[in-house]
Amino acid sequence: MKRTPLALLNLLHEKTRLIVAIAGVGFAVLLIFMNLGFQGALLATTVTFYEQLDADIFLTSPESLEISSTKAFPRVRLAQIAGVEGIERTMPLYMEYLLWRNPETRISRAMFVFGINPQDPVFGMPEVQTPAAQQALEAPNTVLIDRLSREEFGPQTVDLETEAGRRRVIIGGQYSLGGGFAADGTLIMSDQNFIRFFAPRPFSQINLGLIQVKAGANIEAIATTLRRLLPADVRVMTRREMIQNDLQFWLQTTAIGFIFSLGVIVSFIVGTVIVYQILYTDIRDHMKEYATLKAMGYSGRYLFGIVLQEAVILAVAGFVPGWVVAVGLYRLTREATNLPMIMTVNRLVLVFTLTLIMCSLSGLISVRRAVTADPAEVF
Amino acid sequence: MATSQSSGSSPVTPTTSAVQIQNLHYSFGSGDLTKQVLFDINLTLPRGQIVIMTGPSGSGKTTLLTLIGALRTVHAGSLQVLGQEVVGLSRRKLVSVRRNIGFIFQAHNLFESLTAAQNVEMAVELKGQFGTKRSQAVEILDKLGLSDRVDYKPGSLSGGQKQRVAIARALVNHPLLILADEPTAALDKKSGRDVVTLMQKLAKEENHTILMVTHDNRILDVADRIINLVDGRLESDENLDTFVSTHDPKSLDRRMFIM
Ligand SMILES: Nc1ncnc2c1ncn2[C@@H]1O[C@H](COP(=O)(O)OP(=O)(O)O)[C@@H](O)[C@H]1O
Ligand SMILES: [Mg+2]
Repeated sequence: MKRTPLALLNLLHEKTRLIVAIAGVGFAVLLIFMNLGFQGALLATTVTFYEQLDADIFLTSPESLEISSTKAFPRVRLAQIAGVEGIERTMPLYMEYLLWRNPETRISRAMFVFGINPQDPVFGMPEVQTPAAQQALEAPNTVLIDRLSREEFGPQTVDLETEAGRRRVIIGGQYSLGGGFAADGTLIMSDQNFIRFFAPRPFSQINLGLIQVKAGANIEAIATTLRRLLPADVRVMTRREMIQNDLQFWLQTTAIGFIFSLGVIVSFIVGTVIVYQILYTDIRDHMKEYATLKAMGYSGRYLFGIVLQEAVILAVAGFVPGWVVAVGLYRLTREATNLPMIMTVNRLVLVFTLTLIMCSLSGLISVRRAVTADPAEVF
Repeated sequence: MATSQSSGSSPVTPTTSAVQIQNLHYSFGSGDLTKQVLFDINLTLPRGQIVIMTGPSGSGKTTLLTLIGALRTVHAGSLQVLGQEVVGLSRRKLVSVRRNIGFIFQAHNLFESLTAAQNVEMAVELKGQFGTKRSQAVEILDKLGLSDRVDYKPGSLSGGQKQRVAIARALVNHPLLILADEPTAALDKKSGRDVVTLMQKLAKEENHTILMVTHDNRILDVADRIINLVDGRLESDENLDTFVSTHDPKSLDRRMFIM
């Protein structure tokens, strides 16, 4: 036989209080999961986006912030470095927002547009590389549309006609990319069409220069060479630096990263306060009994253990429902927004650890009272 | 413990005393706020004796009990409990002295979340006897007439039953010394009487020493000896016969309740 599980029995005895405690912890856990989920989705969309761009080195304007807020720079910079040792290919990328009219509701909404040379293998998605897609890109006023665009943009049937930027536009095909936090939907069109849609924007100004290096070439060394060769109106970044730059922008420069971090901290504090309240009330109600245990010969350490056990039990009991609901909400969010909200093992472990810390912290704050229970005061 | 348990109901002259107090003083507070509560207490409780302590409210009875029970640190005089000098002991050492003492309080102080047996088992667990804790708890509850209430929680027990569970918890480890502070105060006349009679019976069986504070003059007859504390001083110390013959009920009442 084992020790009487006093912590568990004490918690189970006050059913209402236990339910409130579990709901409180569960709610805090859920909030933490959602905040981390959104933050993770943001980071993931940024990264998956670059995963589909087939380039090793990027040229941008030094004034560009991230992929969806770039400043144009002269296309001639690409031509200047095309002959550098180790460079396989250079490709221009044009980017703008375009108002896309939903053909059913006739409501317009901003779409993010990539303009490419149809001959260039800019994107990794296989659907963009089929002969049919190539042919569609070459056709005037024809675009490929992102399957993961929000529903509000309307149907995506091939050959469907609608209006974009006051011009007639034809859907020539589909692909899957996802616009992440920056865009509700994306389009790919040829550079020729791009110039038409965004007239009077000149052909000579591009938003991103994509550079593929030869197999086995030293990317860092080439980037260093390019930095030396190019004037200050372009910035040279490797793929890793580019991703890092965008992550940094979202996390630090915009309120988004801050809001989610704040969300996690606030949820953590709310959880800590709830658990503290519960444990404190529990200790207060059992003060005489705890003092009696001390009079019988139990040590302060035993009472310390009881309170910490109660904290850990609340952590586990609250974590499970919080996690289950979070999995459900992740799915809902995925379906409603196409954001990649995924319950990773890492996040599971992280949030469980946070929950344990949250409850133990409350336990440590409230335990003083139990440990200082004065056995002389119960007579 | 073995010798004390083997001595039957006939009192044996104890070789060592359960409690030996010499020149004990005790004050609450410090500096200007110091309030002395106990003055020059000298008291010896031989093993196996049932002693009742009376005295007006505020005279220091509870304080003396908590000192003997090693619940407070003492600095002046000498206080030996079960052969161990308590004066000057650290808090941690005091905890181990307590494990040989059974405490019974005015309130039962049972965990509402635990059954009668589990409350008693909490005491057995202190001795590390996990294997037999259930049987020990059931046995002592049975002796206290609670064999059909073993798995009830305090919420469904009467006041007298709860106090008997508390007594079972205090006695289950066969403590050599039992300290009780008005154990019948919260009980009606009959249950109070029953509880004290049971305590007396168990104490005599195992040669326990009992020091009990009470205002209840209907239970004085269980005592071998009655001591009286007034304003922090031991006023009289007599055996039951002398006490009864020198205190007619009226004056007894006056001394105990009006002073
Ligand atoms: N923790 C304490 N701090 C200060 N004074 C106390 C404390 N406990 C008791 N006293 C005082 O000590 C005196 C004796 O109290 P107590 O031992 O409880 O008396 P009794 O049990 O005989 O009624 C009283 O005057 C009381 O006010
Ligand atoms: Mg008192």
